Amino acid sequence: MFRSNNNNNVTARIFQRQIRTPAPGTSFHCARRFYENIVPSCTIYDAECPDHSFRKFTEDGQYLISFSRNHQDLIVYRPSWLTFSCKEEDCDGQDLPLKARKFESFFSQLYSVPLASSSELICKDFFLYIESNQFGLFATSTPQVHDAPAIGGAVNGVPSVEKITFHLLRLGDGVILDEKVFRNDYVNLAHSMGVFLYDDLLAIVSLRYQKIHILQIRDSGTLVDVRAIGEFCQEDDELFLNSSSQCIASADKSRQHHIPVDHVGQSDNHNQPSPDNSLLSGIKQRLLSFIFQGIWNEETDETLRMQHVKKKFYFHFQDYVDLIMWKVQLLDRHHLLIKFGSVDGGVSRNADNHPAFLAVYNMETTEIIAFYQNSVDELYLLFEQFCDHFHVTSKRSLYMNFISSHSNNIHAREQVRSSRNKSTSLPQFVKKMLSSLPYCSQSQSPSPYFDQSLFRYDEKLISATERHRQCTDHPIKFISRQSNTLKFKIKPGPEVGTADGRVKKISSFLFHPFLPLALSIQQTWSLQPAVIFHSEITNYSLYLMLGLVVEYG
Amino acid sequence: MNSSSSSRGRTWQSTTTVSSSGKRIQKEMSELNLDPPPHSSAGPKGDNLYHWVATLIAPSGTPYQGGIFFLDITFPIDYPFRPPKVVFKTRIYHCNVDSGGNIGLDILKDSWSPALTISKVLLALRSIFTNPDPYKPLVPGIAHLYLEDKAKHNELAAEWTRRFAR
Repeated sequence: MFRSNNNNNVTARIFQRQIRTPAPGTSFHCARRFYENIVPSCTIYDAECPDHSFRKFTEDGQYLISFSRNHQDLIVYRPSWLTFSCKEEDCDGQDLPLKARKFESFFSQLYSVPLASSSELICKDFFLYIESNQFGLFATSTPQVHDAPAIGGAVNGVPSVEKITFHLLRLGDGVILDEKVFRNDYVNLAHSMGVFLYDDLLAIVSLRYQKIHILQIRDSGTLVDVRAIGEFCQEDDELFLNSSSQCIASADKSRQHHIPVDHVGQSDNHNQPSPDNSLLSGIKQRLLSFIFQGIWNEETDETLRMQHVKKKFYFHFQDYVDLIMWKVQLLDRHHLLIKFGSVDGGVSRNADNHPAFLAVYNMETTEIIAFYQNSVDELYLLFEQFCDHFHVTSKRSLYMNFISSHSNNIHAREQVRSSRNKSTSLPQFVKKMLSSLPYCSQSQSPSPYFDQSLFRYDEKLISATERHRQCTDHPIKFISRQSNTLKFKIKPGPEVGTADGRVKKISSFLFHPFLPLALSIQQTWSLQPAVIFHSEITNYSLYLMLGLVVEYG
Repeated sequence: MNSSSSSRGRTWQSTTTVSSSGKRIQKEMSELNLDPPPHSSAGPKGDNLYHWVATLIAPSGTPYQGGIFFLDITFPIDYPFRPPKVVFKTRIYHCNVDSGGNIGLDILKDSWSPALTISKVLLALRSIFTNPDPYKPLVPGIAHLYLEDKAKHNELAAEWTRRFAR
């Protein structure tokens, strides 16, 4: 009745759905094929929209998060679907009604709440969504101080921020439930890099004090400190040390006379000797002892072993000691994947050229389980095959299971393999691939239009990973995998392109997780020759892309 | 940043002046490689001959069992006429090691002799796991406990090892 090449017709698909039971376990995949028929192909240029910076759709599609231009307020919208009817003969030729040009027809504002105090600003790159409770985590901070002195055990060369506040909000009504403040610390908030969310567990990396703070988000809406990993490994290590050194100290006190009482910063230095002969931190001790035992056990002959340890361990000892924790992710409720690197690499934006190491750490047993350099094949092969084990998402989130990766999608895998074969240097390729580890929380859009089993698109121009990209004047094509036909185009630039070299156009896309709705945001940065990064947004426009669902009555 | 500049300074020193202390350290290094003491090892940090790291694997049957202890060894420029400076980098509950990792061991102080070598120092260091000296303590509190309630002392030492030295 229907030939197989006609199967992508929507009527045919509905009919197929009626008469055929999909193969076991594929019902979701079959249902998702309908997205080939409903695509955001209609672009509304220069929609009348409020002047906010739009951050993202939450993973369940319930909220659109945006911040006010002065980085003070949070404005939350509920996406809705515009409907209108057409009674004409030729509906296809009909223009969209005027109200389709209005932002309010697609989004209704739920509330606007002030988040930032006078000295703090909202970090617009930071937002995490706790889907199970519909909580949102936001961050505000004071400006960075670059040449901050490293006092009280801080790492030299890491900038300092006077105050970073994490705000936990109930997104339904915008009520602030809890706050967590970090003072004179540094957490990498860009793309939520320094914070990882797994279920109700939050891992926050303090770059400055080299601590991984594990917090739990309770259902009641409170942030509870679970443990801090760094100087110490177990939550009561410090207490244990203080209580047992108290009995040591009290016995020693009789001998010590006249220790001048300095102000706080100095007395810290008294307890901790100068950095050169300070004790190893808890996590460093675990790491070094893991590396040492690995090298020690590689060789059984005692004389050879000595040479081996000398060359492979002692020679690099100081480099290992100088490593700092850059980034972390939770692999499950007990295991952390920690990236170690040099101080320079942790702060600079492009860390690819710096040597880095990845360690798997069990925070319950306080054991390092594995340690790899970021250019080893072994880790890469694990990553190629079991990428989804690294890419953990909230279990409750259904759409998140469909994010394409080279482990779950044959097309994505082929692409990775072909670029591996094309690469001239395998270690470089491995490094580049592994640079995405540890993953950033919630950095990928679950939109079906990024499902690589449905669509083919140029990943250099657009991908599920949220990132600002430089605009191209060429439209981005989405081609159906099954029929190999062009399904829709997205034009990131304005209709009339500008060829001004001094103007840098940046585009970003916000795709709704399941509706055929996307926002394209263009920003024009005027580059001043002297200061490249301190540029101002001079122009800003937003396009709405939507799929028209036509119902024939 | 501090440490990198100072290590560069030391590197310069070690590569340009092949002093008698350098020769002596070199000789001790080859001896150590040929006849390493059991469950311990040491070697220069990077290419700096005067700054070493040592690792002691604590002997089983002691409360420190299972611990891997790292130590810093700094040779003075007039080595072997002055003793090397040895400091624990790993926390340890021991009456002869203070909270900063400094070691109260005779041979590293007044009883040092130029006839001693780094192998002998490693042996002596490893022996403090089995035989603490509570009569010349650096931490009197721990020494008291060792003498008065050894079981409690060992329990604490084992707990410290489990928490800070694995």
